[in-house]
Amino acid sequence: MLVALSGCSGETSPQNKLIVTGSTTIQPIAEVAAEEFHAAHPLDDVLVSGVGSSAGIENVSSGTSDIGTSSREINDEELKLGLVDSPIAYDAIAVIVNPSNPVSSLSKAQIKQIFQGKITNWSDVGGPDLAIGLVNRDEASGTREAFDKIVLDKERFDPTAVILPGTGQVRSVVAQEPRAIGYISLGFVTDDVKALAIDGIEPSEATVVSGTYPVQRVLHLFTKGAPTGLAKEFIDFVLSAKVQDSVVRDAGFIPIGAKEAHGG
Amino acid sequence: MKDMKRITNAIAIGAFWLAGLTTVFILGAVIVYVFVNGIGHISPAFIFTRPHGVNAEGGIWPMIVATLYVTGLAMVIVTPIAVLAAVYLAEYAVQGRLVRIIRFAADTLAGVPSIVMGLFGLALFVEGLGIGFSVLSGALALSFLMLPIVMRTTEEAIRAVPKYIRWGSYGLGATKWQTVSRIVLPSAMPRIITGLILATGRAVGETAVVIFTMGTMIFTPVLPTDPGRSMTVHLYQMAMEGINLPAAFGTALLLMVMILFFNLSARWLLRRNRRMQG
Amino acid sequence: MADERRPGDMPLVSDDVSGLKLVSRSTYVKEAALKNLFLLCAFVAVAGVGLIFVFVGYRGWPIFSEVGLWKFLLGTEWLPTSGLFGILPLFVGSIVVTLGALLLGTPLAVGAAVFLSEIAPPKVRAIVRPAIELLAGVPSVVYGFFGLLILRPIVAQLTGGLGFGPLTAWIILAIMIVPTIATLTEDALRSIPDGVREASYAMGATTWQTISRVLLPAAKIGIVDAVVLGMGRAIGETMAVLMVVGNAPGFFRGAGAPISTLTSQIVMDMPYASGMHRTALFGMAIILFLISMGLVFTVRVLSRMREEPS
Repeated sequence: MLVALSGCSGETSPQNKLIVTGSTTIQPIAEVAAEEFHAAHPLDDVLVSGVGSSAGIENVSSGTSDIGTSSREINDEELKLGLVDSPIAYDAIAVIVNPSNPVSSLSKAQIKQIFQGKITNWSDVGGPDLAIGLVNRDEASGTREAFDKIVLDKERFDPTAVILPGTGQVRSVVAQEPRAIGYISLGFVTDDVKALAIDGIEPSEATVVSGTYPVQRVLHLFTKGAPTGLAKEFIDFVLSAKVQDSVVRDAGFIPIGAKEAHGG
Repeated sequence: MKDMKRITNAIAIGAFWLAGLTTVFILGAVIVYVFVNGIGHISPAFIFTRPHGVNAEGGIWPMIVATLYVTGLAMVIVTPIAVLAAVYLAEYAVQGRLVRIIRFAADTLAGVPSIVMGLFGLALFVEGLGIGFSVLSGALALSFLMLPIVMRTTEEAIRAVPKYIRWGSYGLGATKWQTVSRIVLPSAMPRIITGLILATGRAVGETAVVIFTMGTMIFTPVLPTDPGRSMTVHLYQMAMEGINLPAAFGTALLLMVMILFFNLSARWLLRRNRRMQG
Repeated sequence: MADERRPGDMPLVSDDVSGLKLVSRSTYVKEAALKNLFLLCAFVAVAGVGLIFVFVGYRGWPIFSEVGLWKFLLGTEWLPTSGLFGILPLFVGSIVVTLGALLLGTPLAVGAAVFLSEIAPPKVRAIVRPAIELLAGVPSVVYGFFGLLILRPIVAQLTGGLGFGPLTAWIILAIMIVPTIATLTEDALRSIPDGVREASYAMGATTWQTISRVLLPAAKIGIVDAVVLGMGRAIGETMAVLMVVGNAPGFFRGAGAPISTLTSQIVMDMPYASGMHRTALFGMAIILFLISMGLVFTVRVLSRMREEPS
């Protein structure tokens, strides 16, 4: 669905708007790709809004967005809505702690117990005697959904954990608080925080591509029906070698072709 | 005994001084904090360019345009209605059930939490009337928020116009409307404008209403039906995403400057008017 | 109120008795039309309240009819993705956050109001008064931002948590409601005639005795009024609370443990909510609306009490 703006066709004002909403994880890729796309096609404007994966799927299904971005798989109910998936990148979810925390590796089972509120002190996992400060994401987050599925086996998070609606906020709180633990997309990990090895495997492009790092997922663009017109042009643009090698990599994600290249 | 009394009195007065000065200190702390952290990021490029890149580098021009657009449009919508409503309450209304209902409604409207106003705008303008996330939807929702403020300040302004001025007008044979439109409203104008400016300042700082009516997309709106992201929504998203703190401080500083400007100009206008009236 | 007509006012158009035409027919018609136009404008406020009630209420109605009022209001679990829509913990969260803010903010605000009206020299007054008014103008996101960056780390040190929770929200909200309470309390104090003060001082009372035994009791209803309006502001505040409260939709467990409120949960969930979840959010909004309306009604009753003391 393209929104044509009538009576507004000056040189500076774009004629076609493509509305892309969804995952805050994909936001950096989508925004930069949108800028570059606009630079290459001055008459088309891509409007990007980071509202969470579930909102993106909801919006593209209801027709208020042309493309819904999601950092999680769609569920069975959503599958019935006729959405078509265009995978664009791989991503690992890193479990992060404060750099001052001596703990640098945990087992998947330990992480599960920590996020369920069953382990509540760092001393139980080889750290200092300090109550663990859990940082969780909101339910709209695709990162939370993926983490819930892979690490918690869909069991319930500790309901007393702090819930923050943004990836960067999780990172800055963990960067400031020695007791904190959270999880964010590997693409957002900076020197301010320490990414834990899970079952002894560090999160990195190599371990994601080889499949040994357990907490990884695919980032998606969804359209209602097969993409057409401007939506198709934009998706093709995101999948082009230029965007995959620069924008996707700069944002800290792994190009979607990496696994095939690795396999072949 | 007498000493006790004097000491208690001194302590109490000290406590009141403390309470009064604490408020100034808090305001000072907020302003200084935002100013010190934000000033380094303010530049023509920050004001006049679009954000770009993974960390939203660059400027906040689309957000400035969207903010001024939506508040300007809301003011255009609300001013005639609120001023004429105030004229009714101050000049025409006879105390009775009707006036009581109108006043209760205005007070209720003034007390509606802004998030409720946001959902109302979403339900009626964005989805109900199908205007979509747009400057127009945002302005319509904001105008309901501003209505009671402008009504109240305008009514007070009209009531502050001395009765004898009206008698002079009636004595010359003027009708009620002639008196109101040519004598009362012009005399009340500075105070009416002051109220409008204050209401606009309030609207500029509003978040929960515009986030659900204008949307969150970074877009420089041209038509009233275009979506946009207000500066407040931008600040919220930057703060929660934590991606570019300097730009968040820059946005916060510009917001504070706008609001200080609105408040101080309203204050200045009021004082100038008072001096002119002697 | 000043609504009563005074002797000497211009006759109202409606007073125009046939046989005593002051103006021509066409002028009469025009004046009457204008009066009705103004009445219509005044009625926009009434229409606004009606529209909010109808549109938000219509969207929220199914949560009452299908899930049930008591299951919604008294349900103890907010797990919308599992179909559990109990808002009691959020409701308790809103109350906890509001009461704490009032406890912290009221003494400060009343103190500042007394300072302005009774103690401050004119030059100090000229600084403090505008400062309080400007505090009211600071956007709630800026308060939230300030709370997130400055207060949160301090509260984390104090409580041994992460700094998200009621305590941070109390402090921020207390600051936010100071202007509302202080301004109205000052009005109430100023409306006490100076003769009352003079009588008190003439009997040898100190400033403190005059304030505590004469002025504050005399302004009592006005202050309660101010606090009720401050309460309305606190319970409806959204963005600043959302940014510092931690948003964990469980029951209150202490000043440093994260909780959630009705307002912050609406903003958190609205972008992705669909179906009954979305309906529940509108249901929460209509409850907030009714609460704020109830508070405004309380204030009206109080001011009537003030006007006609028994």
